[in-house]
Amino acid sequence: MSRFTLLKKAKEIGVITERYPYKPTKVPEGFRGKPEIDPEKCIGCCACIAACPPNALTSLDENGYRVIRIFYGRCIFCGRCVDVCPEKAIRMTEEFELTADDHEELVQEVRLKLVRCSVCGRYYDTERHYRMILKEFEEAGLKVDPEVLRRCPEHRMGMSAEVIGLRRVRK
Amino acid sequence: MRILRLEEIENPELKEIYEEIVKRFGDGILRSELIAGNKLHLHVEKGFLRKVSSHIFDELGAFYCTTAGVDERPLGGGFRAYHIFSIDEKNLFIVVSAEASPSLPRLPSIANDVQGANWAEREVRDLLGIEFDGHPDPRRLVLPDDWPEGVYPLRKDFRYDLKEVPRVKKQYPMRRPEAEEYVMPIGPYHPALHEPEYFRLYVRGGRVVDAEYRGFGVFRGVEKVAEGRLTYTQIPFIAERICGICGFTHSSCYCEAIEEASGIEIPERAQYIRTIMLELERIESHLLWVGVACHLLGFDTGFMHCWRIREGVMDLCELISGNRKTYGMNLVGGVRRDITEKGREKALEYLAKMRKELREISEVVSGMSELTARIKDVGILSKADARKLSVVGPTARGSGLKRDVRVDHPYFAYGKVSFKIPVYSEGDVWARLMVRVEELFSSADIIEQALEGIPSGDLMAERIEIPVGVRGLGVTEAPRGENIHFLITGAENKIYRWKVRAPTYNNLPSVPIMLKDESLADAPIIIASIDPCFSCTDRMVIVDEKTGEERVLGAEEILRLARRGEIR
Repeated sequence: MSRFTLLKKAKEIGVITERYPYKPTKVPEGFRGKPEIDPEKCIGCCACIAACPPNALTSLDENGYRVIRIFYGRCIFCGRCVDVCPEKAIRMTEEFELTADDHEELVQEVRLKLVRCSVCGRYYDTERHYRMILKEFEEAGLKVDPEVLRRCPEHRMGMSAEVIGLRRVRK
Repeated sequence: MRILRLEEIENPELKEIYEEIVKRFGDGILRSELIAGNKLHLHVEKGFLRKVSSHIFDELGAFYCTTAGVDERPLGGGFRAYHIFSIDEKNLFIVVSAEASPSLPRLPSIANDVQGANWAEREVRDLLGIEFDGHPDPRRLVLPDDWPEGVYPLRKDFRYDLKEVPRVKKQYPMRRPEAEEYVMPIGPYHPALHEPEYFRLYVRGGRVVDAEYRGFGVFRGVEKVAEGRLTYTQIPFIAERICGICGFTHSSCYCEAIEEASGIEIPERAQYIRTIMLELERIESHLLWVGVACHLLGFDTGFMHCWRIREGVMDLCELISGNRKTYGMNLVGGVRRDITEKGREKALEYLAKMRKELREISEVVSGMSELTARIKDVGILSKADARKLSVVGPTARGSGLKRDVRVDHPYFAYGKVSFKIPVYSEGDVWARLMVRVEELFSSADIIEQALEGIPSGDLMAERIEIPVGVRGLGVTEAPRGENIHFLITGAENKIYRWKVRAPTYNNLPSVPIMLKDESLADAPIIIASIDPCFSCTDRMVIVDEKTGEERVLGAEEILRLARRGEIR
């Protein structure tokens, strides 16, 4: 076979390079681009933070709010946060052009109100998570005294199942 | 752990080997265990380490895989070195370990008997501080020149998040050139391929008379991060980032090791998906290499065509996994994503096209005399040298060694597909090129069969429990050869020790042998022929022999001197 075969072949194929970035490029369905948190759905349970391999997701409790923060500079776009989110509040978008002049542009923050422990007064959980647990008890047909859930895990610890009200329902 | 009784070993060939070892070295075997049905771990007395290793390497015809050092002081022991051997034709692995005292860790070196252990022992010494008595070349390997003596990063009392270590001024003791010899450095960084690699070629006239290698410029401490900070399910993602080309083989190998150690049975569908992705990765990697090889030989048309074909597999992987290169599909216990009907169709379509186009190109390439003249009989690695250094992958198969983990130690779905393994006995660059080109067709065969035979079912194992303190050994065939992950599980959802040995680690020591007596102009393609990357020769060091001072010249200065006829 002659070496001109490849030249002929090149001619036949023509130009296949794309005019990117002048012409936008399309990504396939299911592409793992920049993850985004839906601030309406997030309950601040921090499951994503525990799963995140590069520590791109972090949380900070201050002034009565929990701030869930994702920094795209560290993100490896693995999508583990999407896997573990119980509320399906995170999704992978199709966005991949993340160049920025400033670090702060590469951050998404979700602020969630915290609730205080009725005994010691310290903030211990987000309000949304608290309401969700309450709702789950109801849906499971378990009656629980809301006051019990208003306590931080430490002050809830000494209480027996009877006090919490679970035994009565099981009967 | 205790001494295994013979009846406890089911594998008849392993039983026979074990019986012989116990008979010969009875008192020297302190303890033994089975890591898996075909993987035996012998804990031997220090004084027997060399004898047992030589017996396995020479008499049993095993290949040397690697050595893993472990700081076992927190477990109530000392330091331990695990030498890993593979008996390919019998699908067996034998791990020989010996313990060194925690206060003064010393072990006899096996590098005189098993040449391939030279690097691995130096690495263990650098990172854990075990001294190997009688090592033929006890220079530093992994740590940078200015790293202080007595600081060992893989010891458990060295914090993984330590920011700074006081540095000392010291230079690596390279061999000084003899009279009439010039030094030609290739490295330390390749500007296009972003891989640090420093070859020091000793040149007489246009001939390379000797070569030395100093690497590990970007030793990242991946193992330390995993041991220090990550959980079991997070490690596959850092494992995938060990290599920018063949990352999936690393995450698969890690998962294989953990799954085997914990007795997790992953669903068949997940095994098939891993196999398919591994082969797609091999296609991507080999096409990249064939392209780069063409480029290095000045045949840029070939380079463009190879990379054009490669682009198709990248798009295909993006469609299946959601990313071009970091597939992110592996988890301990299975895979995260399924191959959809659309992915299946696209894959079959691509493979048919790739076969046709690749055949066209390889016919043109093999018919170009000016191209083949530059790679035939160039950079020869004899079968004997290949065996001595225990080289792996296409480098071994180009030198007449028929070894391929996919056949010798079948994993995932490789036992269920049939494919051809090309072996060439020439041992030159051409042989290594042909091995890779033919492997591309084999990979297409494997993927087609796997897509045909893939069963439906779950993607993740139901029960995933990882016991504490068990050893695991994962082996996969990466595009560059055998890839080994050795690990010990730990408490609190964290790994105790994770040792990774990528294939190039075993192949690089063969490059100085290939370079010897070759022309300097062929050095780039010879170095590239094992499929690492090479760095360009844009500067040069002249050593003043009287004072020993080194002067680095820039490209322009070299040109000027050359024009004046001062250097030839």
